[in-house]
Amino acid sequence: MLFNSLSFIVFLLIVLALYYAPILTWVSKKRMLLLSSYIFYGLWNPPLVILLWISTIVDWVAGKKLAIEENKQKRKLWLLLSMIVNLGFLGFFKYGNFLLENFTALLNTIGVEFQARPMDIILPMGISFYTFQTMSYTIDMYQKRTERARTFLDFALYVTFFPQLVAGPIVRAQDLISQFYEEKKATINQFLWGVFLLTIGLFQKVVLADTLLSNTADDVYGAGKVLHSLDAWTGTLAFSGQIFFDFAGYSTCAIGIALMLGIILPDNFRYPYASIGFSDLWRRWHISLSTWLRDYLYIPLGGNKHGIIRMYVALMVTMLLGGLWHGAAWTFVVWGALHGIYLVVERLLRSKIHIKINAFNGILLAFLTYTLVNFTWVFFRAREFSTAKNMIASMLFINDGGEKIVPSFDIIKVFVLITLLFICHWIMRNTSMKDVSLKPPAWILGVVWGIMLFLIAISQGSGEQFIYFQF
Amino acid sequence: MNLKQSVLIGLLITVTALIAWEIYWRNQGFTATLDDNEALWAVQRAKVEKLSKEDVVLVGSSRIHFDIQLDQWEKKMGNKPIQLAAGGCSPLPVFHDIVNNSNFNGTILVGVTPGLFFSTTFPKAQPWAWPQARVDYFHNRTYAQQLNHLFSLPLQNSFAFISEVEGVDGINLKELLKKIHVNNRVIDPMPPFHTFEEIRLDRNVRMLKRMETDTAFANTVKKVWKFFMSGEGPPPDKVATMNFFLTDLEKFKARGGKVILLRCPSDGYLRDFENTVTPRATFWDELVQKANVPAYHFEDYSQLQNLTIPEWSHLTANDADIFTNEFLDILIKDQVLLTSNSN
Repeated sequence: MLFNSLSFIVFLLIVLALYYAPILTWVSKKRMLLLSSYIFYGLWNPPLVILLWISTIVDWVAGKKLAIEENKQKRKLWLLLSMIVNLGFLGFFKYGNFLLENFTALLNTIGVEFQARPMDIILPMGISFYTFQTMSYTIDMYQKRTERARTFLDFALYVTFFPQLVAGPIVRAQDLISQFYEEKKATINQFLWGVFLLTIGLFQKVVLADTLLSNTADDVYGAGKVLHSLDAWTGTLAFSGQIFFDFAGYSTCAIGIALMLGIILPDNFRYPYASIGFSDLWRRWHISLSTWLRDYLYIPLGGNKHGIIRMYVALMVTMLLGGLWHGAAWTFVVWGALHGIYLVVERLLRSKIHIKINAFNGILLAFLTYTLVNFTWVFFRAREFSTAKNMIASMLFINDGGEKIVPSFDIIKVFVLITLLFICHWIMRNTSMKDVSLKPPAWILGVVWGIMLFLIAISQGSGEQFIYFQF
Repeated sequence: MNLKQSVLIGLLITVTALIAWEIYWRNQGFTATLDDNEALWAVQRAKVEKLSKEDVVLVGSSRIHFDIQLDQWEKKMGNKPIQLAAGGCSPLPVFHDIVNNSNFNGTILVGVTPGLFFSTTFPKAQPWAWPQARVDYFHNRTYAQQLNHLFSLPLQNSFAFISEVEGVDGINLKELLKKIHVNNRVIDPMPPFHTFEEIRLDRNVRMLKRMETDTAFANTVKKVWKFFMSGEGPPPDKVATMNFFLTDLEKFKARGGKVILLRCPSDGYLRDFENTVTPRATFWDELVQKANVPAYHFEDYSQLQNLTIPEWSHLTANDADIFTNEFLDILIKDQVLLTSNSN
């Protein structure tokens, strides 16, 4: 079920009515939330709920054993079981076809005639998110960083909580499970703020991403031609805006919906396009994934505690795998590699050059960072390397006389919107939406709210899927 | 911060603005209508699974969609056929889907618009990709999508501004923005293409009255047909399309299914063009001879001629009623179809 759909509005109203009706105990409310979460997921493809159940049961059992087991070998085995099941699901459903294609290509390259039948595997929506979330529980249990969930219901709800089930934020056990122990009820202000966040999230997704930017990005990346530099830049900038509004929109909706239930989810984005450098970017973009990768991959690989070479290797491996996490294609690996290289170069430069950041050089450095990020988006968006190569060449003004396919109004629309996005991120980089929204009089917020709702209604949209659902 | 005050103001603005927006578009001549989208099509396709041997399914492009009127059919035959035809589509992907992915063994009436039927089997070409997208949607639609469609119907039937129509008649925000042109950096050579039909829940389509009364409006559609005919599109792929169809046809016949071919009327410049690019003798006649199924070409029946085709391709609503009745009389006379009373 998509947040930007009529069925979700009806679903949410029913859930809220049951949640706030004085007929259910807290345990019954949690059961209702769990059942609702399975319905939320199952309305997409009911049999795939079984994967959620398997992940839940395996990690619940593993967590329970890890809580009492002292034998190191046995503890390792329980952790291994959790990792094998979760990564096994991920490997089969997400990377099965990719591995088979590459295996076939490898055999063909060394002269072995082999043609594999495509496996036609369905990618379960949000599998990368919930497997990472549930794995974090067993890893934390193994490392004794979190307490065992008190009841199976609390744990199952942690794995399946519908607002963040299919596209995050990826929440740690200690941040979410403990919220289920005591009855939660949003205050009126919390509830209304949750509705406001849901409105902003839908506005970002429906109006900004789908209505104003997606067509330009799709036209440019689907053109199959060598394009004029202005068109290539317009398409890439449009995609940079689209993916931000799409994903940040989802996260904002998720946080808002959870808040309407009195549950607090962490921020997933902090105005990333105003980042100064790439370390800063990864503290602001998809925060729940970058902290997951830091804690469960980068630090176990050695982090920065074992010398510079090992740190750079750990950084590159983390970013390569982070790229692969986004999609089973080599273009995503290159996207991750570019980010890895940017991070390594930045650390090298930081050890040699010391710049005191002020407003003037800060915005220039943020602009430089954003420009470099756009080159990485090319590999994220392009389906083939040939498209990426042509786009990069056009963006670097190497292609002479590329074709013009983007109308002038669309160019103006994208450049104005992206400029506003960048300025807005710069202004907001050290503050929060709540702080800014609380300052003006109530009627101004009301007018903004009304305009957003009106634009959502007249955009309609045909229920475009969120980009990150495929990851 | 008084969020209660903010939310009240927000709701007031939204409701007021939406009422004004709705009134504005109604004053511009727009009405609340259904969208002929994949979800609406899929509901009809799903019904095929439950049909009996006596039932009829219509596949093809816009001509059979406009020209066969379901109410007239029901009145005369006692049951309503399933309408799966759609504008700009080759009938082959849908026919292929029914033959290969359902157990239906009743009658399929195939509308043969030569330029589309014989166009291509290339999956990415529009006459193939459009119907295939509908077929794929039907097979892959989720329960959530089915619910969305269900909930959207009362809204589509109530508000003019809720519309998925694309192009010159599109009034959602995305379509409105597409109409803003700053200069001629990129020129779209296609003339504006107006919507000239309205569709019902059962996908019955009727031509708008305006097409009969407003010659200038009809001419805008003629311009679009001329544009398509003047383009350097690929030539028809007679061999591949015919073979593809005949393979499915044999499979369908083998399980007891019956197929009827129908060539609906066309007129003027469009008919001349069709006669030049897809001459009857080498396309339609050859198809009929190879298919060996009941086949009806409007040119062979005086009662199917001299009807009003304002834009050369589709019948007016009243003449579509006449056409449907006359065509069914022919089928009954030939004992190709039996009325439910005679069953």
